[in-house]
Amino acid sequence: MNEEEIKRFYKALKDTNLAAVEDLVKEYIAKQISPIAILNEGLIEAMGIIGQEFKACQIWVPEVLLAARNMNRGIEILKPELPKKNKLETKGKFVIGTVKGDIHDIGKNLVTMMIMGAGYQVIDLGTDVSKEQFLEVIAQEHPGIVGLSALLTTTMLEMKGIIKTIRQTYPHSPKVIIGGAPVTQRFADEIGADGYGEDAVRAVELANRLLASGERR
Amino acid sequence: MKAIHVSSPKRRFLSGLFGGRRGGRISVANPTSIVSIELMERTGVFFPDAHLDPDKMAALAAAGYEILGFDSIMPEFSVQQEAEALGCVVDWGSPTMMPDAKTHPAKEIDQLEIPENLTEKPSIRVVLRALELLRKIYGDHVALIGKVMGPWTLSYHMAGVQEFLLWTLTDPDKVRHFLGRLKEVTITFAKAQLQAGADVVVIADHATGDLVSPKTYQDFLLPVHQEINQRIGGPTILHICGNCSDRLRLFVEAGFDGYHFEWQIDTKMAVEVVNHEMSLIGNIDNKNVLFGGTPEDVYKQARYSIEAGVDILAPECAVPLQTPIANLKAIVEAAKEGYS
Repeated sequence: MNEEEIKRFYKALKDTNLAAVEDLVKEYIAKQISPIAILNEGLIEAMGIIGQEFKACQIWVPEVLLAARNMNRGIEILKPELPKKNKLETKGKFVIGTVKGDIHDIGKNLVTMMIMGAGYQVIDLGTDVSKEQFLEVIAQEHPGIVGLSALLTTTMLEMKGIIKTIRQTYPHSPKVIIGGAPVTQRFADEIGADGYGEDAVRAVELANRLLASGERR
Repeated sequence: MKAIHVSSPKRRFLSGLFGGRRGGRISVANPTSIVSIELMERTGVFFPDAHLDPDKMAALAAAGYEILGFDSIMPEFSVQQEAEALGCVVDWGSPTMMPDAKTHPAKEIDQLEIPENLTEKPSIRVVLRALELLRKIYGDHVALIGKVMGPWTLSYHMAGVQEFLLWTLTDPDKVRHFLGRLKEVTITFAKAQLQAGADVVVIADHATGDLVSPKTYQDFLLPVHQEINQRIGGPTILHICGNCSDRLRLFVEAGFDGYHFEWQIDTKMAVEVVNHEMSLIGNIDNKNVLFGGTPEDVYKQARYSIEAGVDILAPECAVPLQTPIANLKAIVEAAKEGYS
């Protein structure tokens, strides 16, 4: 897709009217453009631009929520068109949750939207998630990455125990990354996390980097 | 002859709130909760009881003055007192967990119901009764701070945070309608708190710097805040978290007497921008200093803020429940050294 076409997807993601993205996706399907291309080169590429704008503080949370809503609608329309064997082809599985004792989920949800938008299959465990719950899902789903979120200074300490528990059972994979308002790179290093994402966009970049580094098992 | 003023906690606080005469030292106050687990242990009063029982609420709040030596007592610890009165199901938490609204009952305008007997609802009544009790014991010499949620925060409770934020783009009229209706809750509760004995009421309205733009504040909230301030009549302090460096002048325009701000906002810059047209209350870093630092770290930041010219010294927001008492006391110690 050329720049002009990506720009059309970008505009559709910013439109408050859902019909904009619906019409655009339908138009490309009618033109016989491959659904994979519509997804990867259209929607995901456009979401990437929105993410960059958010990272540069040019837009705020409502604009990201809007883009995510529109993107999800686009994917819904696209789904029946995707070739069956390709249906679940994703970059990898990403398990995410806000840690035990913490009920804040805006940051986690933003990361979820961006990670989904980047082509991952996301398993969102919600808020107040215990280490046992994380372990159970890792055993069932074998994710490439686990993301831990916390908004409170006190609950971020919970991350240390979760990482320790995961490492005892799974020494190398999944990678565990952390984020949230009080979290810093230093804290991430101290508690043995594989990475820290300062915001939702950096979380995506981090996930891509970790999985590309070839250490995934 | 130079007038000599007795420097009582209440005088210090009120002088700071209105940017008035300076006594021997800056006032130390808490527009938001300073309750910690240690403080609960020292008083024998714990969450969640302290959110629901007026005697316990008053006893725990008073520890801020009695044990920590702050100039103020502020009895509303959570942000959910109004939520329950408005029909949300609230989980009142535990000694280590703040309360949380589990349901958001109004996704549409016609689902928004504001009870006529708001001030009689148990979760509202408890705060008013606690203020009445505190006024009787401390009203003559300690500043009593009330706290209410602004219509933006109340809209989060009623509709859910993400839904409400999305509406600012997809359905701005609905946002205005919610704010218009819910501001009545803010005004009614604030007036009742002032009548019960509060010297000032904090209006916490979480249109935070990290979530929405200055333009969103200006378009939706500024006129509402102006009306709230006009109709309350009594003194008000705005509390909005996050980095709001880019909208400080808008808060001045809204007509608040003070703004309770975070460490992320540089103190010197804030003092310059606000230009004494509104008092600045803050801004000791909760995460790295009050919770994660030592009394020496607290001392250094407190001295920086005093020298930069804040009007009242305070933690930046409700302190983490694991904050050590020694760190909270260090704020008062730094203040006791005077202005320079």
